[in-house]
Amino acid sequence: MFPSGHPERSAVERNGVEGSRDQTLKVPQRYSSTPLRSVRNDEKVSRHSSLCGLALGLVLIACAIPSAKAQDFLDHVDEALSFSALNGEVRARVSGTLDLEVYHFSGLSPGLIRTTNDTLFNPRLSLFLDAQLGPSVYLFTQTRVDRGFDPSDRGAQLRLDEYAVRVTPWEDGRFTLQAGQFSTVVGNWVPRHLSWENPFVNAPLPYENVTAIGDKSAPYYSFLGIGTPAEKYEHNPIIWGPSYATGVSVAGKIGQFDYAGEIKNASLSSRPESWPITRMDFANPTVSGRVGFRPNEMWTFGFSASEGAYLRPEAMSTLPFGRDPGDYHERLFGQDIGFAWHHWQLWAEFFEARFEVPGFTDADTFAYYLEAKYKFTPQFFGAVRWNQQFFGDVTNSYGGTAPWGRDLWRADLAVGYRFTAHTQLKLQYSFQHEKDGGNDSDHIFAAQFTVRF
Amino acid sequence: MRCLVFCLCLLSALTRSAPAQGSVEGQVDLPRTKSAPVMTKRYEIVTTGGVLGTNPPLAVVYLEGSFPTSSNLPTKQVAQKDLAFVPALLPVQVGTKVEFPNLEKDTYHNIFSYSPAKRFDLGRYRPDEKPVPSQIFDVAGLVTLRCDIHEHMRGLILVLATPHFVVTDDSGHFRLKGLPAGHYTLKAWIDSRTTREHPIDLKSGSTLQVDFPATP
Repeated sequence: MFPSGHPERSAVERNGVEGSRDQTLKVPQRYSSTPLRSVRNDEKVSRHSSLCGLALGLVLIACAIPSAKAQDFLDHVDEALSFSALNGEVRARVSGTLDLEVYHFSGLSPGLIRTTNDTLFNPRLSLFLDAQLGPSVYLFTQTRVDRGFDPSDRGAQLRLDEYAVRVTPWEDGRFTLQAGQFSTVVGNWVPRHLSWENPFVNAPLPYENVTAIGDKSAPYYSFLGIGTPAEKYEHNPIIWGPSYATGVSVAGKIGQFDYAGEIKNASLSSRPESWPITRMDFANPTVSGRVGFRPNEMWTFGFSASEGAYLRPEAMSTLPFGRDPGDYHERLFGQDIGFAWHHWQLWAEFFEARFEVPGFTDADTFAYYLEAKYKFTPQFFGAVRWNQQFFGDVTNSYGGTAPWGRDLWRADLAVGYRFTAHTQLKLQYSFQHEKDGGNDSDHIFAAQFTVRF
Repeated sequence: MRCLVFCLCLLSALTRSAPAQGSVEGQVDLPRTKSAPVMTKRYEIVTTGGVLGTNPPLAVVYLEGSFPTSSNLPTKQVAQKDLAFVPALLPVQVGTKVEFPNLEKDTYHNIFSYSPAKRFDLGRYRPDEKPVPSQIFDVAGLVTLRCDIHEHMRGLILVLATPHFVVTDDSGHFRLKGLPAGHYTLKAWIDSRTTREHPIDLKSGSTLQVDFPATP
């Protein structure tokens, strides 16, 4: 039992579960609604005008860039940004993408989008450096200028999101060692997470649906519901996007099997601020791995697992006496399937995640998605994705039991058109529905125009 | 008299079946070798070692004019081998069928082109799939081949409205044989932005020397 005034007791009292094992916990509204939603009409008109202007701008750019001259220009830019020295032993290439994204949602900002408005324009410039030093050493970086790692209405940022050096001693790929800050080996979404490869504008649900889990403090006050959008960003999904945490990985291929393992400074659910080594050390590392089976070019099957502490150091002061962030782990098991043949590409991932929560029993969740992409013509493609997430029950120290999140599903539909090998426009509509929620259905519209060079 | 008519007819027939032929040879100043591509491996869990080979610049020299079209053109091939197009530059006559065999051991490719002369996307296909994916190139122009999976891969098919063309060697030397006599324009395609040309007068049995210097 918690003493009066103890934060967990307060949370329990707020949710009305003290001593009532069979009583279903009252799950608060995910978001408080009106105050943050009250936007003056003139502001709305102005924003819609801006949106129309922006959409017109995207169309104009889309019309201008496909011209043969512009295409030829981008091809030559591509060539001009390649360098070699020492008779080709050292080769480097700078490339990049410019993304112009527009989001509009009927409810509050979905996923990891961070805004209190219902419309968001999110430009992003990503620059990549790929270098090959002799046959065995490869290094790469990704630098971004945008409004935050996830779409937001904040000011401009310049970040080095990825850097890594990879050593491949044998040409057959049986062993590879990589060190730096780079994407996780878990699952099969990472290879298509960048805007050019991703058929959608956003990520699958497991990679962006914020749960009640928070990493900055023990979740006494917020575990059974997420308050406002601003608070929402203080919470975590199962896997935060591509999870560019810092660490070391090994990978390789043996016959039809491949393997990959990594030790990183932050868990899969950790926020981008936790990924750099300057922000999180290896005091509580996360270990992840994946074993893949590829019977032929068409099919891939993968099994992933990960375990590591998910609380940040500042959560220490909110933990029970004698405990530290390293005592509370995120465990994840994942299964992934990929299929590709002719103009079809199919993917599916299933994740079973468990969070150890101070003052509660383990919080379990299961999330999955099924995704399909089809090229109707050489330049026109469509994609559909079905996402779903289920939350288990948690029990607090008083025996009260309740689900720790609302089950939800989301259907994504996207179409894309590649004007040239360097320009692409995607349009997406999503419908999300939460079980037992007051504000339980959201419509999400997104458009993304990408120039690749 | 009958014998004389027969001889004239025979001579006329021989003239038609074996037209006067000339040839052209020369040198094209090629641009300097470009930097070899760097393969993007950022998000590949399994990568193999090795570096991609350099494709030296080549030119296509062709005779521009009005020539009869043939309905029996040989099928050509552009293969994918070691993550590159082989050959990297293929000139073909309008109407030619080109096959794209995947000669990799266990790697998918997805060849496509958005060039106005030919837009297509072959999708992903296994090395052992039959029939080998192919396209008929029926519009003259430059077709840039790319792979949707391997960003660095580039190949070119130059579709020409002439049966008389040749690819230079690495040093830029070329020799075009079996050309009909007449007044033509000889062109050297260097890259998408550079085509040099030279008017020529071909006489039966003669060999012309034509060079395409970088600065005429």
